[in-house]
Order: sequence, then structure tokens, then C-alpha cells
Amino acid sequence: MRSTFMGLEASKRGLFTQQSALYTTGHNISNANTEGYSRQRVNMQPTLGYPGIGLNAPKTAGFIGTGVQASAVERIRDSFVDKQFRQETNKLGYWEARSKSITQMEDILNEPSDYGLSKAMDEFWNSLQDLNVNPEDGGARAVVVQRGIAVADSFNYMYNSIKQLRDNAGEEIGILLEDANSILEQIASINEQIMAVEPNGYMPNDLYDARDNLIDQLSSYFPVETKKVESGGNALDQAEGSLTVFLNLNGKQVKLVDGNQFAQLRNSGPSDPDGVTPTDKITGLHIVKVNADKSETHLNEDWTQTGTQTDYDINLFNNLGKFKGLVDSYGYETTGVTKGLYPEMLEKLNTMAKEFANEFNKIHRDDPNNDEGRTSDLYGNPGEDFFVSKDNSGNITAGNIYVSDSLIKDPNKIAASNSVGAEPGNGKNALNLANVKFATIAALDDVSVQTYFEGLIGQLGVDGQQAYRLTYNAQTLQQAVLERRASVSSVSLDEEMTNMITFQQAYNASARMITVIDETLDKIINGMGRVGL
Amino acid sequence: MRVTQSMLSGNMLKNLSNSYSKLGKLQEQINTGKKVNRPSDDPVVAMKGIGYRTQLNNVEQFSRNIGEAYNWLDTTDDTFDKVGSALQRANELMVQASSDTSTPEDREKIDAELQQLQKHIQSLANTKIGDKYIFSGTKTTTAPYNNDNGGYTNNLSDNAFGKTIEIEVFDGINMQINTTPLNLFKNIDDVFEDISSKITNGATADELSSLITSINNNMNELLKTRADIGARQNRVELMDARLQSQEVIATERMSENEDIDYEKTITEMITQESIHRAALSVGSRIIQPTLVDFIS
Repeated sequence: MRSTFMGLEASKRGLFTQQSALYTTGHNISNANTEGYSRQRVNMQPTLGYPGIGLNAPKTAGFIGTGVQASAVERIRDSFVDKQFRQETNKLGYWEARSKSITQMEDILNEPSDYGLSKAMDEFWNSLQDLNVNPEDGGARAVVVQRGIAVADSFNYMYNSIKQLRDNAGEEIGILLEDANSILEQIASINEQIMAVEPNGYMPNDLYDARDNLIDQLSSYFPVETKKVESGGNALDQAEGSLTVFLNLNGKQVKLVDGNQFAQLRNSGPSDPDGVTPTDKITGLHIVKVNADKSETHLNEDWTQTGTQTDYDINLFNNLGKFKGLVDSYGYETTGVTKGLYPEMLEKLNTMAKEFANEFNKIHRDDPNNDEGRTSDLYGNPGEDFFVSKDNSGNITAGNIYVSDSLIKDPNKIAASNSVGAEPGNGKNALNLANVKFATIAALDDVSVQTYFEGLIGQLGVDGQQAYRLTYNAQTLQQAVLERRASVSSVSLDEEMTNMITFQQAYNASARMITVIDETLDKIINGMGRVGL
Repeated sequence: MRVTQSMLSGNMLKNLSNSYSKLGKLQEQINTGKKVNRPSDDPVVAMKGIGYRTQLNNVEQFSRNIGEAYNWLDTTDDTFDKVGSALQRANELMVQASSDTSTPEDREKIDAELQQLQKHIQSLANTKIGDKYIFSGTKTTTAPYNNDNGGYTNNLSDNAFGKTIEIEVFDGINMQINTTPLNLFKNIDDVFEDISSKITNGATADELSSLITSINNNMNELLKTRADIGARQNRVELMDARLQSQEVIATERMSENEDIDYEKTITEMITQESIHRAALSVGSRIIQPTLVDFIS
């Protein structure tokens, strides 16, 4: 026989469950604009019918329903879309970082324009042509010196600015690794909370969201993989468990977070005492465990061995993630070869400055052993070097190329003449000097300085074009995946309103049900057995 | 597919920003008049642009050099013209002097005039452009004729006075702009010395008339040099014409390479503008009322 008050109990369950659904709807609406929030749903499930199963169970005609219960509050999310999103974020991170570096370099080189190095070179050439026409003219000589200084300044400026960019990229790599390390620590801490909550049969949806957000962020830095580990205890089937996070290096998995334990990333090349900010070419990364006393223990990829440093070569990063993008700009060393946008550009500028200066000096300097190579200045003294290195090391680079001090003080010392004694009207060597710009130089891949620079700008342009195009592609793809993710997880106000009405009406109906049962009970209690009263 | 408000507004924002960046690019092109403003816009155009700029710069410089060549050659020609007139006059005077009817007094007067002509030619030898002596070879700061230092003689032993001055008038094409007539000047001077001493010594009419031949020989030599200068002037004129057309071509090619087609770009810009406006007006519509607005 069922209980007299069973109807009340069943309706009360209805009230409670609809109320939790209504509250969850409220939670969804409140978080409609929260970054990374997945909408939540109360899974409703009927409670077991009456009578229960058993030998002593009362015999009635079939089960009678006993109401509803909320079995779980679940977030709506598609982990496959998450994986796709992270793959696209990886690519976008790389190409965005690369585009940014190239843009900055383009800004500095400032070509094609009327202000860049090629303009300075053109003007220098003009001044030498004028000197050829008027070799005895002090004005023409002063102009040659000033234009020569302008060429040297252009080299210095480009060199120093790109070097500055490179230093900035180094700082950025340090900050990125710090940030990644902090994310790893946070993931481990969220894992710990999740592992504490789940065995009690709860679904910490908002912790899952927070953790997914962190992994999204991490995947813009590196290619990462995750694996779920169930919590045990009374965890629900839908519970997501703790996440083990791996760095996915070309198939090789390097464990970064395991439960509430986490590793920290360290730069393997020369670096600051913080272990992450590079001071010179990067070679790779390794991971360590930070102990309670701040000391560090090296870990291998699956943490089974400790104490020996295992380096992961930078090439394993496969053009994925912002980290690799920055490193590609900053420069790295692999099998003894230096690569990277900034170091390669600096190297090319150095070669160009050095070869141009050497070739120019060779023509400018008097060569007593060669009749064709005789030069002299306005006073008839033999020609000396025109370009020198600022630090007097004799090794000219784009950073230290400068016009010799004695020429700046006395422009008459420019060896415009190809004579042995003083011939004020002889400007033949000035013409030879002018033609250095167009002379092929073996060390510059057998092309002239002019062509070499054109090639350098062309290469930069091609690299830039590729980087911009792929950034755009990655953005489009990421956007598409983001759309799919939003389609699954984002809050729709219309939907929530519909749900609200549904739950409210169900709540109202349950309340009405209680009134009905109340009335039936009223009939029994107050109306029965009072015949004739 | 389930579509939510945040998807609509996210998409809308992305498209608006795309449309804005296209608008920005077109505006930049119109403002600068250039198709490319950084190498990555179009690496080939950027690379060629550097080359064309240099080429144009070179042509402009060569034009400037040509101006200098004109200056030198014209001045030289003009000087020689005056030297020629002086010799012509000397010739006439000598014809007069060698006549048997001229008295020693007449000859002395003629000699006085001849001496002035000699000085005139000496000063012509010291012609300058700016502060440069144009007949000094590469020793442009030393006068070819120096009265205090043996006239032409000392300079003749210095081979720098025989050196050419060349300027570049086109890629790899050098042109000599000076002339080195020191020997000629010296010969002319010697003839005048000769005449003067002969007249002073009371030479006969026959002796004097033989000197007319010497004057005529130098005159011929002078004409040869002038012919050479004339030929070079012609060459400079040809080169000048070539450079001028080259400058037009280079400017044209540079413009073709990197300048925008204004009609086209402005049309594109207006199209893009209207697309942007459309996108904005659509934007105002995506903020649709939700069910909230209808539930009381």
C-alpha cells in the first residue's frame, strides 16, 4: 500500500528539480558573455518507481512513479571541436608571431621609399659623380663625406634597430615561457580541486571550463595534447577527471602536467638566471621539477628518470605555436647552423656593409704595386681607407661601419685622383669609386651591392607575403572552428528563455499538484466520517 | 546548426574589421599614390621599385654631368674661336708688314699690335670655368701660361698638363670634356716671339712673309682641334637627347611598376565603402530582440 503523503513527496521533488533547472538557466544567462563558458544543462531523471523490488514488496498493480531528480548538472561541450580549435590556434600562434616580426623589419628597412638605404647609396653615388666632375671643389668633397656618413648611418640604424627587435623578441620568449609555466601550475591546481570534488559525485563544470581556457591559451604557445584520467570513488560517468597535459613534439610526448604535479619549461641555450629568457641563440627546451626549496630537478619526457637534462630540439616544434614563431625570429642553432629571421638579416647586412666597405676602400686606397691602383688626394698624398670600423677593430660590420675620422676632418683627403702626385683636376678615381656600387663582388654571391640589397628586400617581401597569407588562413580556420564551438557551447538567450518558461511552468504545475493533493487530503481528514454534520 | 547571439555578433565584428582593413589598404594606396608600401605587399614590385629608382637617379645625374660637358666644350670652342680671330688678325698684319711698301716705322707699329695679340692669346690660354683652368690638363688649379715662370715651358714638361678629364655621361660611357692644346699655344707663342725679334732686327719683307706660313700652319692646327671639339659637342647633344628620352622611359616604367591607377583604385574604394556601409547597416540588425522582449 502506498503512503498517504507519497503524492506530496513526488510533487516536492518536482518543485526542487525544476527549481535547480531554473537556477541553472539563470546561471547560463548570467554567463552569456563569459569567455570560454559552456552552457550547462540539468539532466533530469525519474526516481525509482513504487514499490521497490524485493521479496517483501507490497503487491500492487504496477509501479507508480515517485517523481523526478536531477542526476547531474552537465556542461555542453564537444571535446573533438576543442582539439581542432587547439590545432588551429597552434598554427595561428606561429604565423601571427612571424608576421609581426616581418612587419617590424619591413618598417625598419623602409623600402621602397625615398628614405632608405638604397636612397642613401644613390645619393652617395651622385656625390661621387659630382666629385668626378669637380674634383678640386671643396664643396663637392664635403658632400661626398656627408653622403658617405649617411650611408654608414643607414647601415648602423638598420643594424641597431633589428638588434633591438631581436632583444625584444628574446624578452618576449622569456615572458611567454614564464606565462606557460604559470599556466601549467594553474592546470595542476585545478586538477587537484577536480580530483577532490569528483569522487563525491559532483560535476565541477566551471572548473572544467577554466581548465579548458588555460589549455586553449597554452596551445597558442605550443602544440599540446591532453589525456583524461578518471578520478575514481563515486565519480559520475560524465565526470572529466584530471587532465594530463603533454607537449606534442613531432609525435614525441613530453609530460608537463600529471594530476596535481607539474613540470616547468626551461630554455636549454644560454639564458638569464631565470632560466627562460634567452641571452643568445636558442637550442631547445628542457623540463624541470621545482622542489619545495626552489631547487630544480631535471626530468625526462615521462618523468620516469630524474637528474639528467633531456633537451628537446627546437626543430621538433614543427612551425607550430607562438613560441616557435618567436624563436624563428629571434634565432636558434640547430646542428651548428644559425637560423632565424633577425640573425640572418643582421648577418646579411654585415656581409653587405663589410664587402661594400672593403671594395670601396680597395679602390680608394693607394696601391703602389699596381699602376692601375694608384690614388692620391688633393694634396698629392696617397689615398687611405675611406670606411673604417668605429671600434677600430678593422673588422667592419653594419653596426660599426663609419667614415674615417681624418676624412671627416679634411675632405680634401678623399683620393679622387688616380695620379701619383697632386693633380687637382683629376677625378678619375672618383668615377671608379662611384662604380663600386655596381661592381660584382664575389662574397655577395657574385652580384653588386645594389642587386644584393634588392634581393634581400625581395626575400623579406616573399617571407612576409607567405606569413600574412598563412596568418589569414589560420585565422579563417580558427574562426570556423570557433563558430562550431560556439554553436555547441555558447548560450542562446532565446533557448534559455524557452527553457525558463518550460521550467517555470513545470514548477507552477508541481505547486498546483501539491494543492490538489492537499485538497484530497483535506477531503480525507476534514470531510470524511462526518455524515450528516 | 544551432546559432546563438554571440556567434552572430562575433561574425559581424570579424567581417566589419576585415572590411575596415580593406578600406584602410585602399585609402593608404590613394594617399601615397603607390600600389605597394611595404615589400610584402608585392615583393616583385618592391624589388623592381628599388632598381627603377636607382636607374632614374642615375639618369638624372648623367643629365647633370652632360650640362657640365656642354659648359666645358662650349667654353673651349668659344676660346679657340677667339684665338682663331687673333691669328687671323696677325695674318693680316703680317701681310701688311711683309709688303715692301711698309716702312720700319709702320712695322714697329704692327709689331706693337702683334705683341698685344700675343698677350691676348696668352690670356686666352688661361681661360677658366669657375676657378678651374680648362687648358691645364688635370692640374686645373695651375695657370697654363705663367709670365713669371717661363711662360708655357715649365708646364710642358709636366705630363699632368696633357692628361684628359673624363666624365661619365651614361652607364660605362665616359667622355673627354677638356682639350690639351698646350703645345699649340706654345707654338703660336713662339711664332709671335720670332716675328717680334725679326721685326726688331729689321728683317726683309721676304723673311717676314715666310712667317705667314707658320701662322697659317698653327691656324690649321687650331681648326683641327676645333673640329674635334665640334664632333664631341655633337656627341654630347646626341647623348643628351638619349638621356632625356631615357629619363622619360625610366619615370614611366617606375610609375607603371608602383603607381596606382587612380580611376581603378578610387572606384574600388567607393565599392568597398558601400560594402562597408552595407555591413554596418546589417550590423544594426543583428541585435535582434530576443524572447525576453516578448515574455511579460
